[in-house]
Amino acid sequence: MNAFELRARYPGFSLEASSAWTVPRAALFGASGSGKTTVLEAIAGARPEVAGPVTIRGRRVDGLTPRGRGVGWVPQDASLFPHLTVEENLAFAVFARGDRAAAGAAVEALEIGPLLRRRARDLSGGERQRVAIARALASRPDFLLLDEPLASIDRPLRARILPFLRALPDRTGAPMLLVTHDPLEVLALAEHVAVLENGRIVEEGDPRSVFSSAAAFGALHALGAENVFPVRVLARGEGIARLATPNGCALEMASLAGFPDPLRVAVRAEDILLATERPGGVSAQNVLAGEVLALEPLGAQVGVRIRAGGEVWLARVTTRAVESLALAAGRPVHMLVKAHAILPTA
Amino acid sequence: MTAGEVLGVALLTLRVGFASTAMILLPGIALGRWLARTRSPARALVQTLVSLPMVLPPVAVGLVLLHLLSRRSPTGRALEALLGSPLLLTWWAAAIASAAMSFPLLVHGARQGFAAVPVRLERVASSLGAPASRVFLRVSLPLAARGILHGAVFAFARGLGEFGATTLVAGHVPGETETLALAIYARIERFEEGEAFLLAAVSAALAFSITAAAEVVLRRDRA
Repeated sequence: MNAFELRARYPGFSLEASSAWTVPRAALFGASGSGKTTVLEAIAGARPEVAGPVTIRGRRVDGLTPRGRGVGWVPQDASLFPHLTVEENLAFAVFARGDRAAAGAAVEALEIGPLLRRRARDLSGGERQRVAIARALASRPDFLLLDEPLASIDRPLRARILPFLRALPDRTGAPMLLVTHDPLEVLALAEHVAVLENGRIVEEGDPRSVFSSAAAFGALHALGAENVFPVRVLARGEGIARLATPNGCALEMASLAGFPDPLRVAVRAEDILLATERPGGVSAQNVLAGEVLALEPLGAQVGVRIRAGGEVWLARVTTRAVESLALAAGRPVHMLVKAHAILPTA
Repeated sequence: MTAGEVLGVALLTLRVGFASTAMILLPGIALGRWLARTRSPARALVQTLVSLPMVLPPVAVGLVLLHLLSRRSPTGRALEALLGSPLLLTWWAAAIASAAMSFPLLVHGARQGFAAVPVRLERVASSLGAPASRVFLRVSLPLAARGILHGAVFAFARGLGEFGATTLVAGHVPGETETLALAIYARIERFEEGEAFLLAAVSAALAFSITAAAEVVLRRDRA
């Protein structure tokens, strides 16, 4: 049995989350800022300020150091030791608790053999995440904690790694708890999901039944989206609906018959494209002029807070995009959102 | 002054500098680590006490040391019993005076170094099964090394120029305690301006070499 009952108070945010599950593959699901990473880090023993019992495989571990908990923790930013090579990062785990065979198998499955001699600080975001997973596996953990493990990995490689991750609990005997804001990852990897919202678990159980109510509204992808607005339907046309937010931002959404008016729509932060000049000849139906308000680190990527069309939006881009577009507070930008990326939500 | 005498003074100064830095290296690293990580309410008080030698007049620090190292105090008697001879008026006393004056610089550098190491990295290292000693030696210490090196170089350089506290506890014994700073002062008192300038030039050359060498090491480390 695995369980937690956690409480913590931060300025502007409180955590009061409890859950229990027995299956080997479980997920914590929620939008950015819902508290899922805080829960995962508290289970890993990295949040001394979070109070409450934590049980891993029937053993109470709260009060123990991260070392005493026997977990393999993969933080969202990978937290590789930057002064060591990939090989030395793995060797650190092997020397401490693991074995070479576990490290070798992970190196092969995660396709990081060619990276072994490189310094951790020189790797890309996706490479870092793969090495961090391999390092955790090399330590032969009793339990795996993965924070957005596929977030920075490109799609073809993700498709190859997904079955490997799914098979891990059977191969290693270590159950895993995955944190993600992607419902498709939950469906692919977990048999139990707990949905976090504002530091509370609002729903939990089998992923298919948890997501079915939202799916009934066609809003599976909208769960966990960072931008949610109430809207009114101004007009419905051929396959497209014209919407307006309370602050007057006009949006075009791929029309789905039978939707109520008013309704709420959601846009995932990674579905927003940014351009520094107004682009022409694009298929995206929504091109909004705006201004960058702030940049926020979001794990290996960057959240860009933007005011556009009278609303405040969050876009998620890579660090490289921030550099090449010279994004900074006050910079005028154009946001591109496809009509299909505007998702109706319950 | 012959070239041999100048060289002797320079070598003694370096010996005092190295000995004083070696004396404070381990306690400085330990205290810097503690100050960077602790949430103890005593932190502010300890930080203030550590910084005192930087703001007190050096002769005041020297006065305290004079008392602590003399036969009149238990520490002085214990040290004398341990070493078999008095400490005052020896180059060891000069090294202790330099150590006391440069300790805050080393602690400050180490504290900055450890503060720059993400706590999360140490916790991840612990979660991988490593004991605290290995986390410290393999993760925290190498990542804090720049700050520690920075602090050590400035502490060493500060030690080379130490005068006020040194003159009280080490006196002015040519060949035994006469560091560059003391030798320059002695020449000025004797109106031997030329020799004073020569020794000042040697001081400048030493300080320049040490700072430049540290800069090269730190740059290589950064690359």
